[in-house]
Amino acid sequence: MQGRVVVTIVTGQAEASRSPEPARSGMVRTVWEHRADYAYVLPAIVVMLVVIAYPIYYTADLSFFMTPPGLQLRDKTFVGFDNYSAILTSGVFWKVTWNTLIWTLASTIISFALGFATALALNREFIGRGVMRGILIIPWVISAVAASYIWKWIYHSDFGIIGAILVGLHLTDRPPNFIDSVGTVLPSLIVVNIWREFPFAMIMMMAGLQTVPEQLLRAAKVDGASAWQRFWHVTFPHLRNVSTVTVLLLAVANFNSFIIPWIMTGGGPSNASHIWITHIYELAFGRQRWGVASAYSVLLFFILMTLGYFYVRALSGDKKERGA
Amino acid sequence: MSTIAETAMPRTHRRKRVDGWRWAGRIFLALMLFYTAVPMIWMLLTSIKSGFAAMQLPPQWWPAEPTLASYQKLLDPQNSVGADFLRFFWNSLFVSTLTTILGLIVAVPAAYAFSRFTFPGRNFLFFSVLLRNMFPAVIFLIPLFILMRWIGLVNTHGSLIITYLTFGLPLAIWLLKGFYDNIPIQLEQAARIDGATRFQAFVLIVMPLSIPGIIATAIYSFIGAWNEYIYAYTFLSKNEQLTLPAGIQRFFSENTTDFPGLMAASFMMSVPVVVLFLVLQRSFVRALTEGAVKH
Repeated sequence: MQGRVVVTIVTGQAEASRSPEPARSGMVRTVWEHRADYAYVLPAIVVMLVVIAYPIYYTADLSFFMTPPGLQLRDKTFVGFDNYSAILTSGVFWKVTWNTLIWTLASTIISFALGFATALALNREFIGRGVMRGILIIPWVISAVAASYIWKWIYHSDFGIIGAILVGLHLTDRPPNFIDSVGTVLPSLIVVNIWREFPFAMIMMMAGLQTVPEQLLRAAKVDGASAWQRFWHVTFPHLRNVSTVTVLLLAVANFNSFIIPWIMTGGGPSNASHIWITHIYELAFGRQRWGVASAYSVLLFFILMTLGYFYVRALSGDKKERGA
Repeated sequence: MSTIAETAMPRTHRRKRVDGWRWAGRIFLALMLFYTAVPMIWMLLTSIKSGFAAMQLPPQWWPAEPTLASYQKLLDPQNSVGADFLRFFWNSLFVSTLTTILGLIVAVPAAYAFSRFTFPGRNFLFFSVLLRNMFPAVIFLIPLFILMRWIGLVNTHGSLIITYLTFGLPLAIWLLKGFYDNIPIQLEQAARIDGATRFQAFVLIVMPLSIPGIIATAIYSFIGAWNEYIYAYTFLSKNEQLTLPAGIQRFFSENTTDFPGLMAASFMMSVPVVVLFLVLQRSFVRALTEGAVKH
């Protein structure tokens, strides 16, 4: 049903573009005929405009100014693209970008793989399945602040449980400094992030698995396909769309994460766990360099728009398939 | 006889192979359960230790003298820590509930329109609503902070409710639209034939049918608002205004060694959302995946 609606819209536009003159009055007329429809979406649009369109405009504007600390914005001075060139030439920028890349890729890929595997393992009836699913989802539901503190305590350099286990097994003499040393801090934080995120991939893939037609799997089994062949040739192709959407949503969420690095390390030690978002936050609200932070936000905006393009394409590709 | 043996042979062979995967699945599930549950169990165990017992080497795997002192301290309004914690809790409850209710008032008609009507610009608006979800709070933080200061809402719960409303809206609309798409349009058509206006058909026919979807969306908005940290941390500076995540962060950045208290606070902060989630797990999961999965 959804697909058909989209298709009618598309064909309607195609017809309109073929004959431009009556199309315009036709466009105005359809808008006027549908005026009551807009009343339903108007409240949502107004809220969005105030809190979304205005901030984006304001950020873009501010990124061309140098601002004094304390947000005395009347004293800002126009500096053109200075903020942008300052960012791109600073060493911290490349360090932080590298961290962001590792953080986003590792978190996304591992979360998706673990979530998918868990969904497959849970995709058959057994006693305690519901309870197990419930427990596995809890990390995703609780606040990231709580999760950060729990793991901060687990990683504690003197009394942390992991360190104690390692010492107890005589693998090390002293508990390792997971989040206080440059080499281990980022992987340690990624483990926390995956802990919170794989349940989301699991939920999505479990829902996807329910749409794989049972008859096809049975037919493949009768024809002598092995479990792996059934998975690779029947199950997986059916999950391509939901996988794309899940991976994109995970990538965006990871790229945008803030709480776990901010609470656990604040970006340290020596920027080793700073990612874009925490770095922007620190520039703006810590060092009060609003112009530079805004320029960062604008760059971020363009990156996300690119990701968003693929997201929308994945979603509407899905719809076209349903319409056809 | 021989035919039976022949057909039985490959079957046992195949079953053996399936069992291999099944065992791999079981072991994997056990490992994932371990990964998921151990941090939470350790949180609970730490929260019932005394501050002294928590800081021992090697650690007490099982608390030698379990105590609820941390919980008593946090829940005692006479104690200054308890008074703060209860106020944070109340603030979180107030902000999250109001955000959820206002969000539904705005999202329900919008989702219905996106599901049913084909007005010009519908697709554009829908995707711009979805795209909003992709941008991090930080992009909006600076201008919103300035905006809130300008209209005098810094240090009020109003600033939080307005911002939560907007970051919750896209998802709420997305979730609800999935539900409306699944309600047969014939029901409304029948109502229209019987003389109902379009709005009446929406309120009297579709709304009651979408109650499960509305509840699931409400839980989702509530959990989102309850767990939100960045805006609360930036917009609120007065102690008595803080919500739980920001409040706990502020409190424990001053009391860095009280880990049993911190674990108890983390636990109590998680209880409402986990309970809400577990009670309504089924409709919640369905709502979330409705849009991404084809049926």
